[in-house]
Amino acid sequence: MKIHPRYYPAIIIAAYVVFLLLGILLGFGPERGGEGHGRGALMQLACLTLESLA
Amino acid sequence: MNAATREKPFSLAKSRRTIQWLVVIGTIVLGLRHIMPGEASRGGSFDSFCAFGGIETLLPYLFSGHTLKSTNLLNFSVLLGTLGVSLVAGRAFCGWLCPLGAMQDFITDWTRNISGEARHIRGKESKSLLPLRLPASIDRPLRYAKYLVLALVLFASLYAAFPPLREFCPVRAFFGLKMTTLLWLTLVVFLAGSTLVERFWCKYFCPLGATLAIFNKISPVRLVADSHRCNNCGRCDIECSMGIEDVPGKLSDPECIRCLECLETCTRDNALALRVLKT
Repeated sequence: MKIHPRYYPAIIIAAYVVFLLLGILLGFGPERGGEGHGRGALMQLACLTLESLA
Repeated sequence: MNAATREKPFSLAKSRRTIQWLVVIGTIVLGLRHIMPGEASRGGSFDSFCAFGGIETLLPYLFSGHTLKSTNLLNFSVLLGTLGVSLVAGRAFCGWLCPLGAMQDFITDWTRNISGEARHIRGKESKSLLPLRLPASIDRPLRYAKYLVLALVLFASLYAAFPPLREFCPVRAFFGLKMTTLLWLTLVVFLAGSTLVERFWCKYFCPLGATLAIFNKISPVRLVADSHRCNNCGRCDIECSMGIEDVPGKLSDPECIRCLECLETCTRDNALALRVLKT
């Protein structure tokens, strides 16, 4: 399928925003304090689930 | 198709420059925010907005559960955004959204201007002294240096407290506004390199570019050449800022930053086209 070049900037910006928001929703968001953080709540849950499955 | 009936092309170059300026201004604002008092307590350092910071802190996070100092979890989201662009459209992040790539393009425009080309004519060989095109014997091996940088950074990140590239990062040198001796040195080398060679950092040393290069082979949104329509005029080769030779034959080359200058330059209808897969 051919894409008109005028949609190209919108495609890449949309891809960036969607995946950025996906990351934030997964728990990789900005946190106060700024540095050296541990796992986010969602990641902790995912890790615990994986560990329990193993 | 008759040239007179040809649809007037949308100016990709202008929209790219606009986006690049917005990205640069946004990064300057981030840098200014970074030097404000109490910045660390308001949600992360300048480094935490860096996509490559996500790669630098990935292995320590996986092995120890903690990110490196000056990075935080936001790095992973920024990295995911960058990987998302690459999954869809290859190294388009480098060509459109990277502040450092934008600065290099601006520097190239400026150097062309002051070294003998008052106005660049698209598709025509530049008569300006700068930027130089390095001989293939130097250029080709040097292109692998970025993969070496990536490997070294990943290895060093396992033993580092801060992101290994932090003191040699041109983005911090340009926009971070908290300078150290090493960052000043980095800035001087970056400016000199970018003045002499177009997209100097992207071609030879950018570890993020090295990471994203693989996506050019698998991204669904890609450029496709029609060999029946292409007359091998070489206009696209002239405009390629990454110095790819025989552009129509190398549209999935790992070096391609998907800036689409080749598409903008091409005068033959549908010789180059943007497609989803090859259908």
